[in-house]
Amino acid sequence: MGALVAGAALLLPTATPGDLSLPAVDVDSAFGATLVDDAKRYERFFYATWILAQIALLTTLWIYARRGAGLTRESSAGPIGTGMLLGMLGLGIAWLVGLPFRLASQWWARRHDQSDLGYLDWVVQDWVVLAAEFLSICLALLVVMSLARRLGERWWLPGAAVFVAIAALFSFVAPYLDYTTDPLRNKALLADARLYERELGLPTIPIRVEKVSNDTDQANAYAFGLGPSRRVVFWDTMLRKPFSKGEQRVVLAHELAHHSQDHLLKGIGWFALFAVPGAWILMRVTRRRGGMGTPEAVPLALLVVVVIQLATTPLANGLSRRMEAEADWKALELTRDPESLEGLMAGFSKTGLGDPDPPHWAQLMLGTHPTLADRVAMARAWAARTESR
Amino acid sequence: MAVISEQRSIRLLVRDDDLHRNRVTVLVRLFLAIPHFVWLTLWGVAAFVVAFVLWLAVLIEGTTPENLHDFVAGYVRYATHVASYVLLAANPYPGFRGAPGYAIDVEIDPPERQGRWGAFFRLILALPALLLASALGGWFSSGSAGRSSSWQPSSGGNERAAWFFSVGGVAVAAAFLAWFAILARGSAPRGLRDLTAFAIGYGAQAGGYLLLLTPRYPTSDPSLAEPYADLPGHPVRIVVTDDLARPRLTVLFRLFLAIPHIVWLALWSVAAVVAAFGAWFAALATGRVPSALHRFLAAYGRYATHVGAFVSVVGRRFPGFTGRAGSYGVDLDVDPPVLQNRWKTLFRLFLALPAVIVASALVGVSVVVGLLGWWYALASARMSEGMRNLGASCLRYNAQTYAYLALLTDRYPYGAPVLEGRSMPIADPEPAGVPGDSF
Repeated sequence: MGALVAGAALLLPTATPGDLSLPAVDVDSAFGATLVDDAKRYERFFYATWILAQIALLTTLWIYARRGAGLTRESSAGPIGTGMLLGMLGLGIAWLVGLPFRLASQWWARRHDQSDLGYLDWVVQDWVVLAAEFLSICLALLVVMSLARRLGERWWLPGAAVFVAIAALFSFVAPYLDYTTDPLRNKALLADARLYERELGLPTIPIRVEKVSNDTDQANAYAFGLGPSRRVVFWDTMLRKPFSKGEQRVVLAHELAHHSQDHLLKGIGWFALFAVPGAWILMRVTRRRGGMGTPEAVPLALLVVVVIQLATTPLANGLSRRMEAEADWKALELTRDPESLEGLMAGFSKTGLGDPDPPHWAQLMLGTHPTLADRVAMARAWAARTESR
Repeated sequence: MAVISEQRSIRLLVRDDDLHRNRVTVLVRLFLAIPHFVWLTLWGVAAFVVAFVLWLAVLIEGTTPENLHDFVAGYVRYATHVASYVLLAANPYPGFRGAPGYAIDVEIDPPERQGRWGAFFRLILALPALLLASALGGWFSSGSAGRSSSWQPSSGGNERAAWFFSVGGVAVAAAFLAWFAILARGSAPRGLRDLTAFAIGYGAQAGGYLLLLTPRYPTSDPSLAEPYADLPGHPVRIVVTDDLARPRLTVLFRLFLAIPHIVWLALWSVAAVVAAFGAWFAALATGRVPSALHRFLAAYGRYATHVGAFVSVVGRRFPGFTGRAGSYGVDLDVDPPVLQNRWKTLFRLFLALPAVIVASALVGVSVVVGLLGWWYALASARMSEGMRNLGASCLRYNAQTYAYLALLTDRYPYGAPVLEGRSMPIADPEPAGVPGDSF
């Protein structure tokens, strides 16, 4: 427990000033009343489908946890292979139950011009994701069940360590496996990147572009990779109107700040802090089904993992928002351009129909970033703070 | 001797065939068949027009007029004769009347009552059977109107006919290989003849169903071939102990559930290829594959068969990952290593080519069986026994091909599409050491 607290204390510090108080933002004037109304109406549908999907998922997995063990008779494999079968079937059932909600969301997004992806493409894309998830759950169960069969109830500590190692390895390797992006050709933005890297004490980090404009008008960018594999990726929708050069520079600075503040490494650290007690809980709960070494425990384990994930979502999202706020702050320090950050948020709301000020519970459960209103508030707080110096 | 298939409305008959084939007629067989192609086309057009009348008759009366039924039956019989001749399953030049008595023939029952709904949707209902028939390569179809010939015993008038023969699939692959074998030896390989006859028999069933000669759905069960085909002893055998129940949940996600197996099979394949090369060198040097390598390669072949059975819905349960003998409902029985002919070992890759061609065609059949079986099992929570057995038969041939390639045996794969043979000896013992002698 002490180690967990110490770890958390190590990961918690942020560059965002502790005494920073965000001013209230009138979202109607900042984003436009019509846009705010449209965005709220648009997002409300997703909130409803999300709640219904979670209820359906938990109910299904609860039933599966009670009855799924009977499916062991459909396996000629050994305990681990049978465990994989039960894991995959559980995942398949969950996928099937969630399908109507995902389909409804896709229909809603298409209806509001937020997705140009055809239903056929969407189905194929969904299957590819499902196949990857099937493979992932097999790998996870292979690790857990092998350890549990070898170490008994002591599997949870090395098990958590293995998962953290896999997460770190995946984070490191993922950029090298990427084949969907091309190098950024915008010379001005590249020059800005070199400038910001120097100021942040970073080496040269490849800036790449992912073409998504055929499927959506939404804009985004992300940072991924560790150490030498670090990358920043812009969606091509981010590099065109309505986003100005200044707004693109803010995005660039924000993503580079993720790297300079070691957010990906810290994310793995936080994952480790969650994984250790999570694995312990999994071990304790599945004990009455014979432990994770027996395939009969797998359906229950699926339910436990989903419940743990759901229960820790507010905390995980809170940590994610903290890092995003830190990246925003660093971006403001680098660009010294709060107007562009404000404009960027207005652009996000316009292109993605994002609700600038979502309900508190929605932000708690779904908000991995500060609300658009909070980010505008931060830009204004930074400006006020700079003027007063 | 004539042996008759199981009691179906349309039954394949294989009459006395000493497998002897005249090399000259085989060499130019396609050209010799040209008059038959023309005549079959003309007759086929007429048969399809008449079949439309049969369709109306069934919708109104629930049965078909006997003379029209006989006309279409004559066409199916004639098409079977021509297909058998062209695909080298039979030797004599067929007559143009489709009269009973040809070496490979079909016996078709008189008209029987048919369900109106089944008849109304016949074209749609026949699609799966036609798909399988096309994969087997014994499928035929016809079109366009015409007048009948005076040679046609059952038809009432003068009609023109047209036909076209759809080629492809297993029967064509088997005929292609048989052509070379016959030119070399003067006789057809028995296994390939039986395989072709089976494909033609299924095509006749499918054609008869489509053309409303029978309300009975075609069966692809290889047991239909048992009266005329035989399965000689082989060091690699398939053992089916599975039931036919298929829980819908595991059927629905079958391909996804196979993902870890496909990954593992791919990894194991790399090791198996290396091991097969090791086995080749060892067999060349000592005449025998070391037991450890034999066990490893046999386990791989068994595992691949388990996975193939699972993916194609031929097997019910999720297989294990080790290829352990007796662990799966569709299993492979592999004899221990024995001395092998070094010449056969030296040229194994070259010698295996014909079997690989047939095996590739059978993979196509397996895919169709898997596709149709998936829908069938999803609807009924059961696998059709005929399709299950046909799938198992394909897996058996493919496993024997692999075993031959991987030096598990120097016995050639056997093409007859039966799962269990009669214990009678093959009628035509063939000289040893000739490539392709025991397809």
